[in-house]
Amino acid sequence: MYVVVGWLDEFLWGALVVLQIFMVGLTMTVILGLLGAAAKLSNIPVLRILATAYTTVFRAVPELLVLLIIYFGSAITLTAIAKLINPEIKFVDIPPFWAGSFAISLIIGAYATETFRGAFQGVDPGQIKAARSLGMSATHTFFYVRLPQMWRLALPGFGNHMLSMMKDTALISVIGVEEILYTAEIATSVTMQPFTMYMVVAIIYLIFTTVIMAIVRMLERMANRHLESV
Amino acid sequence: MIEKQSIPIIQLQKVDKFFGEFQALKNVNLEVRQGQKVVVCGPSGSGKSTMLHCINRLEKHDRGRVVVAGIELNDSLKNIDAVRSEIGMVFQQFNLFPHLKVVENLMLAPKLVRKATKTEARKIAMTYLDRVHIPEQAEKYPIQLSGGQQQRVAIARALCMNPQVMLFDEPTSALDPEMIAEVLDVMVELAKEGMTMICVTHEMGFARSVADLMVFMDEGEVVESAVPDDFFAHPESERTKLFLSQILSH
Amino acid sequence: MEFDFALIFESVPKMATGIGLTLQLLVLASIIGTTLAVCTALMRISKIPLLSWPAIVYIYIFRGTPMLVQIFLIYYGLAQFQAVRDSFMWIALRDPFWCAIIAFSLNVGAYTAEILRGGIQGVDAGLLRAATALGLSKSQRFIHITTPIAIRLALPAFGNETVSLMKSTALASTITMFDITGVARTIMAQTFAPYEIFLSAAIVYLFIAWFIQFGVALAERRYSRHMQR
Repeated sequence: MYVVVGWLDEFLWGALVVLQIFMVGLTMTVILGLLGAAAKLSNIPVLRILATAYTTVFRAVPELLVLLIIYFGSAITLTAIAKLINPEIKFVDIPPFWAGSFAISLIIGAYATETFRGAFQGVDPGQIKAARSLGMSATHTFFYVRLPQMWRLALPGFGNHMLSMMKDTALISVIGVEEILYTAEIATSVTMQPFTMYMVVAIIYLIFTTVIMAIVRMLERMANRHLESV
Repeated sequence: MIEKQSIPIIQLQKVDKFFGEFQALKNVNLEVRQGQKVVVCGPSGSGKSTMLHCINRLEKHDRGRVVVAGIELNDSLKNIDAVRSEIGMVFQQFNLFPHLKVVENLMLAPKLVRKATKTEARKIAMTYLDRVHIPEQAEKYPIQLSGGQQQRVAIARALCMNPQVMLFDEPTSALDPEMIAEVLDVMVELAKEGMTMICVTHEMGFARSVADLMVFMDEGEVVESAVPDDFFAHPESERTKLFLSQILSH
Repeated sequence: MEFDFALIFESVPKMATGIGLTLQLLVLASIIGTTLAVCTALMRISKIPLLSWPAIVYIYIFRGTPMLVQIFLIYYGLAQFQAVRDSFMWIALRDPFWCAIIAFSLNVGAYTAEILRGGIQGVDAGLLRAATALGLSKSQRFIHITTPIAIRLALPAFGNETVSLMKSTALASTITMFDITGVARTIMAQTFAPYEIFLSAAIVYLFIAWFIQFGVALAERRYSRHMQR
């Protein structure tokens, strides 16, 4: 058990990498989700079809496969393009950290698109009428009336997506990113104590997911404050 | 010197409106002068709400002209925004912003549309909150207020934009009976102060005391329009007579 | 850069075995996991702390940690203990297939238990009050009123969970199994043609997912028969 102590700083470093991936992923997911929802709700049929294809594909294909396609596929494509410019180049790839974060964001973004779409549709149209009749522009109406109310509806679903994303970060170890699972694999080969090491990984993830759940609960309480009639 | 009273502030000329195949408004003509109080009544589905919505472009009219304060309503965004800030609208379902406090509900549009500062907006808000007799509710959220109070806040919110015309779309229809009076009282005060008003309502007592012009609509058409005395005492059309007999029988 | 269709064609037979394994994992884990979920859900909603707390902890752990970590713990981790290696269970625990089944079933059990709990709690309290007033006992109410309605409410989420399980089976490739993803990775390592191989694999998964959703839709229609005018 005490063998873990020797690996503590490697694990902490790996945990930091997990957090970094999560933060990058969170940002990209929100952007993709909003764009996707906008596309799905737009008047242009092409956008709607593209958005539907996006959500269907990325919710049905295994995360591991998406990760592998993006990482290896991008390497092949970039290398091909690079070779056109400079034939001397042997191999170009996107750093696995970014390939992995992007892959995870694409996947969770598909789920977020559906959640955001439902949330936008759940906003009382009367609110929008009132805002427009007061002379507020479409942009103002979106940021001051639509978005605050849509967010409250999207929060529970989005919270679940964040939990999924946190757990998906473990997959990035497969393409060689040095986060905690990767560290555990190395530690195992040295110490021959796989159970101990993977337990550490499990506990770290449990802490992360618990914190996320607590934050989401707090945000939900804040978002619904105005609905508690005293 | 042109009399201000005689220039119509709202003009609807030969307005048609379709929802797909269904024609909601048929050849609607209406003129409202400044300071006039118009009450529009009629059975449900007669197009009263739709007509109101066409006046501030919440709905687009398909044929005819809608002119407000000299500005013609068409697809020009500049015109639409200009018209909307001259018109205040009060809805049956109040439509207060639930995530904002009462005073914030009132301050939002002045800040964003009229570019008022926070202090100026607050002053305007409290003035009108006072006008509707509920200044003490300023820091509460809409859900904490009764229906009558919420509707009064909605009226104040519309007034904060200093409109030339107030449109009321069945303002008391969603209220419990004991709260209807407090809202009607505010509307009567507004009328006395000279506000130009178009009210869609079933409250005939209110109509009789406040209206300069009664308009009866049925199946998308303006069937009859007259001053209240003539309207209630000598309705001309059979449809008007039928409607009045139904609504005045209780 | 061209798309090597010939490669895809050659790979079909290997893919077929992969598909077989994926489906085995999917069906077996689904059945075992759902059975486990029913017991867990009943324990979870029980008023007896001795029953509900183990369920709560189990659900919390398996929903709070990544599937990949769970698989590694069972396949690689348990081998650490001499006691395990000496026991009769070692035959199963040494085999990646059974380790995968155990890991997937435990995962499905935890998630589905929560889904079932949601369905059970979603049953309108008014209906149960009416049933009580009519004289039905607690277990009669549960079997004849709660269960059918809960199933209908839980179906959509259950469908999603099954698709999720399908996606998780790809992780079996990380413990040396040759499911669809495992086969794909092997071919990819030999040919270095990620697009052709992985895209084909993706299409296969899309088909299976579509199939699952179709089945769920049929089930939903059957359970909503009474609601169609």
